[in-house]
Amino acid sequence: MTRPPMMLLKGTLDVLILKTLSWGPTHGYAISRWIHQVTGDELKIEEGALYPALRRLEEKDLIDAKWKTTATGREAKVYRLTAAGREQLNVEVSSWSRYVTAMSRALEARPTGVIS
Amino acid sequence: MRPDAHEPLPLSNQKAVDEDIRLEIAQHIELRTEELIADGMSPDAARAEALRAFGSVDEVSRECREITTRARKGKRRAERFGALRLDLTFALRILRRSPGFTIGAVLTLALGIGANTAIFSVVNGVILRPLPYDHPAQLIDLREQHEKGGESDVPWLNLMDWRERSRSFQGIAAYGSNVSTLLGADIPSRVRTTSVSEDFFRVMRVQPVLGRLPGPEDHRPGAPPVAVVSYRFWKDRLGGTRDIGSRRLRTEFDFQVIGVLPERFDFPSESDVWYPLDLYGYNLSRTAHNWSVVGRLKDGVSAEAADRELDAITQQMRPTLLPDFDAVGATVAPLQEIQTGSLKRPLMILLAASTLLLLAACTNLASSMLARGTARAHELAIRAAIGAGRGRLVRQIFTESLVIALLGCVGGLALAWVLMRSLLTLAPIEMIPVDGAHLDGRVLTFSMVVTFLTAALFGLMPALRMSSVRPALAMREGSRHSGSRRSRQLWSTLVTVEVALAVILLCGSGLLLRSFAAITAIDPGFKPEGALTTLIDLPEVSYPDVQQAVAFHDRLLADLRNVPGVVAVGITNRLPLEGDNPSGAIQVEGKPLLKAYPITGYAIYRTASPGYFAAMGMRLIRGRDIALSDNATAVPVVVITKSFADREWPGEDPLGKQLRVMGMDDGLLRPYASVIGVVADIPHGPIVGKRNEAYWYPYPQMPKRTRSMSLVVRTAASPASFAPMVAKLVHAIDPTIPLEFRTMAERMASSIADRRFTMLVLLSFAVVALLLAGVGIYGVVSYTVAQRTREIGIRIALGARPSAMQRLVQGGAMAVVGLGIVLGAAGAIVATRLMRSLLYEVAPGDPVTYLFAIIALGAVGFIASWGPARRSTRVDPITAIRSE
Repeated sequence: MTRPPMMLLKGTLDVLILKTLSWGPTHGYAISRWIHQVTGDELKIEEGALYPALRRLEEKDLIDAKWKTTATGREAKVYRLTAAGREQLNVEVSSWSRYVTAMSRALEARPTGVIS
Repeated sequence: MRPDAHEPLPLSNQKAVDEDIRLEIAQHIELRTEELIADGMSPDAARAEALRAFGSVDEVSRECREITTRARKGKRRAERFGALRLDLTFALRILRRSPGFTIGAVLTLALGIGANTAIFSVVNGVILRPLPYDHPAQLIDLREQHEKGGESDVPWLNLMDWRERSRSFQGIAAYGSNVSTLLGADIPSRVRTTSVSEDFFRVMRVQPVLGRLPGPEDHRPGAPPVAVVSYRFWKDRLGGTRDIGSRRLRTEFDFQVIGVLPERFDFPSESDVWYPLDLYGYNLSRTAHNWSVVGRLKDGVSAEAADRELDAITQQMRPTLLPDFDAVGATVAPLQEIQTGSLKRPLMILLAASTLLLLAACTNLASSMLARGTARAHELAIRAAIGAGRGRLVRQIFTESLVIALLGCVGGLALAWVLMRSLLTLAPIEMIPVDGAHLDGRVLTFSMVVTFLTAALFGLMPALRMSSVRPALAMREGSRHSGSRRSRQLWSTLVTVEVALAVILLCGSGLLLRSFAAITAIDPGFKPEGALTTLIDLPEVSYPDVQQAVAFHDRLLADLRNVPGVVAVGITNRLPLEGDNPSGAIQVEGKPLLKAYPITGYAIYRTASPGYFAAMGMRLIRGRDIALSDNATAVPVVVITKSFADREWPGEDPLGKQLRVMGMDDGLLRPYASVIGVVADIPHGPIVGKRNEAYWYPYPQMPKRTRSMSLVVRTAASPASFAPMVAKLVHAIDPTIPLEFRTMAERMASSIADRRFTMLVLLSFAVVALLLAGVGIYGVVSYTVAQRTREIGIRIALGARPSAMQRLVQGGAMAVVGLGIVLGAAGAIVATRLMRSLLYEVAPGDPVTYLFAIIALGAVGFIASWGPARRSTRVDPITAIRSE
């Protein structure tokens, strides 16, 4: 049997988008596919939720967008990480690792004398 | 809008945003569907799966739209502020880069704003400021209209009847002002005293700051004399003592000071001492026009209504009181109007003139901005090309104007402050009181409003013009050709306006100048130069018997006659220019009596000493001067004016004719006097006024008013240098007499000082406007020549003579000037009509003035356009053509 999918923590999607774009400009559908692939079925994300998140990042100037003709000859809205976005990603990644480290340490700790 | 001028700002509206979202979502669904089909799903199933995985399309679209809209709004707001800062920074940078233009523009504007603010501060201080009393709008001035036409002060009994019968007033009070010699304060001096009726202070609603006001008991006839004094008098002359009761003042009476009025109380103007008029007793004749009257209207009653009521009451009184009654009505006018009425016209004209000057400054700046616009066309074109919208450019250029205007405003306020001080110093005191102008809130608001209006006036038009650059055209052809024709037209229009404004100001000041010249050319009938005058006021307490005063003058005149350098000396009760009062009722022998009154007419009553006419430089036309032998015991005699002789005895010899006066105060007829001499007419009041008929008695024969006489000394050398000697002789007889010397020439000058002042201010405005017009013309012609260098070069290359080129260029400039002159002259015809009351022997449409203004502008136009036109002849055809 499959495990129930986890709910996405607030703001996580934004980090995932920034991460995706750190490899290079791409359009919304590609971002959606990549997130789906790397997180597999562990994270349950409605595909549509991606787009408001893109907008938010765009208005915060962390990413910018342009309609472009893609390699396949389609008109697509292509997103690109801005300098501010790259900065933000670094901040998020490091704070996430600190968070994870702290949480793991806490969850893996053994009882000491304090708890009887 | 042209698309090439857009900033790269797609999705600027909601529709585009929606479309963007719709496309993006549709594409997502499409790509997903294709992928699922590739994975082996049927198209329908693939599409259904794609939609399911996506979630609610509507929900997502709505959310996206909200995010975008909200963010855009915030951004736009921030952008606007940022843009303003940017505009300002940029404007300052641009202005710093061309300091010459900036300084010139700021100074021009400072001049305009400064002149306006200074004049407005005076208008504000003198005309707009309400009188400093409680409910000042209720206060009115009341005069009597009499049957001869004209107005006069009010007889006591008429006032009593009006007060009794009218319903319009909260109160009516009588007052009379006088200048007396005051003893008992620190030094003997002349002060303005005012006798007031019991309700005077109630009508004015004033409370003393110290002590008390006179009560009913002080207004009983025979009560011990009491007085209240002005704050200024109390501080300066009584040493500000709180123990005022210990001070006694002597004028005609011996007063006890009982109170001090507030500092701001100044009514009637300059009065220092107020006491109950009941001390004088009342003259019960209904033709003794003795009292000035101030009243306070009831709430909601207008001055006009009160006027009508009193007219009706007077008409009811008239039949029952004739013949000792000459009133036919009353004139009720707001006190404010009476106090500032004569100033209103000249000040308003100066304000209007300063506005025209400001307009000229604005026009001048607008053309400078335009000139800069040409020079900056390249810069603007680049900015437009890289995406600045027209609105953005207009805003940028307008911001520059605003910065200049604000700097001009600061400079203007500084200038206004300086101008105000000099206005207060230079203006005659009668025109602008010393405290007549302040930079208060209203003045500051005024100048701020003026500043923004000017910025709009000189900034907006060039901004609109300059911003309409076509980038491609402007960059391709260089800066010279961009929008040249329309700029030139606009510029010519501006110059036309400048010329027109200068013509109006020149005509206005020219008319005043010609009036002033006409006034100074008036033969006054006396010789002001070389005559020294002073009032000699002998206090009644020291000279209880009027014969003592006569003796004083007999001795003084005898002493002065013997002084070397004194050509002639005399005294009179009233000097020329001092006013038409008192007007005396007379009986001319053999003439029919008036119906209303047992007299044959009126003429101005004067007394004089032997030598007075010679000292004043008046011309004796017939007969003889008053002689020493015309004393109290001799046969009564009079000297009359020519107009008097012409009125009473036309075509006859007036010498030896008989006339007598009716006593001014007692109504008794004096014995007949013979006419012994006729003198040329003089202006008794304003120099431009009608020269009314007058007669002079020898002072010993009509001694009643001898306590207050003016001394006139005609000297061989500078009259002012004789003052110490005259003072020494006066004080040898009575050391307590205060003296204030003025030469007759000074009196003459100060009597026309307000005209002179108005004229000079207006003239200086006109000169500035003329200069501005000259600068404007120079600018536009230089610009035109620069614009047409290529054309001129071609013409010269084709054989046009340089002089023909100069004629062509200058002819164009003069056509613009000519149009301005025509428009200005038309404007002046309208504007100068408002000045009629300030003009003397010059019609508002005076052709000489207009001709002068036209010639002045024509000359300035010619000179200003000559230089640049000359330059056009030196255009080297080869360089000119190649440079393009």
